[in-house]
Amino acid sequence: MEGGMHAWQGLTAAGAPEAGMSFFTVGSLPEELIALAWTLEDGSRKFYASLAVTLADNEAAKLFTELTTAEEHHKATLLGLYRDVAAAEPGTDFPRGIITADEDRMEGGVKVSEALEWAKGRDAFALLELSMALETDSYDLYIKMGRRVEGEKAKTVFARLVEEEKGHLGRMAALLDRDL
Amino acid sequence: MGIADYFKPVDTMTPGEVRQFLDRHKPDDYNLVDVRQPKEYERGHIPGSRLIPVAELPGRLAELDPKKPTIAY
Repeated sequence: MEGGMHAWQGLTAAGAPEAGMSFFTVGSLPEELIALAWTLEDGSRKFYASLAVTLADNEAAKLFTELTTAEEHHKATLLGLYRDVAAAEPGTDFPRGIITADEDRMEGGVKVSEALEWAKGRDAFALLELSMALETDSYDLYIKMGRRVEGEKAKTVFARLVEEEKGHLGRMAALLDRDL
Repeated sequence: MGIADYFKPVDTMTPGEVRQFLDRHKPDDYNLVDVRQPKEYERGHIPGSRLIPVAELPGRLAELDPKKPTIAY
């Protein structure tokens, strides 16, 4: 439902930038999907890294710092998977040449610049809510990708990424509870 | 292919459309899911909604009847 409970109660929704978009596999090659996932992880990493240094809330800043590191690990995992699936070393300008990006984007196709603009002046609670929506999209993305790829190893990698995204969601939810 | 090409709008309902839908259907005809945190649910929720916080959703999908339409908020 558009606008969530706020809109139901007749209040104006905050209009977070992630609203209403979802990933579709559109018949892409596994290599393209991996490159896409890598790009989105990189976008999320930049978003979280920015929040980690600008948030005054120490506990939330610490979580976003850890998530920044987690996204780095996911990027490395995806690069390793690309090597296996493509049976080739990624180019030095990876993922260019495989997918194109007008600018940095993260889950839901959201532009990092737009998310950071939205984030300005918002408290940890609002940023956690947005981040949970992003991680949920990530979770959805990796489930879909796991279904699309062939080979036990690739499926295992995506299953692990799914579990890690689930873990991130749980940690964010716990922090959100603190402020309720 | 550009990144934006991988994402498409998802069908959503306005609160007015949801009210109309709930008025016209019996509670057993749909899944109405509140994905917020328990404390938010306690403060107020749409009547008849089932609380499944988004972080728990992956492990609790079996609680939803796939044959029925699902509305989440």
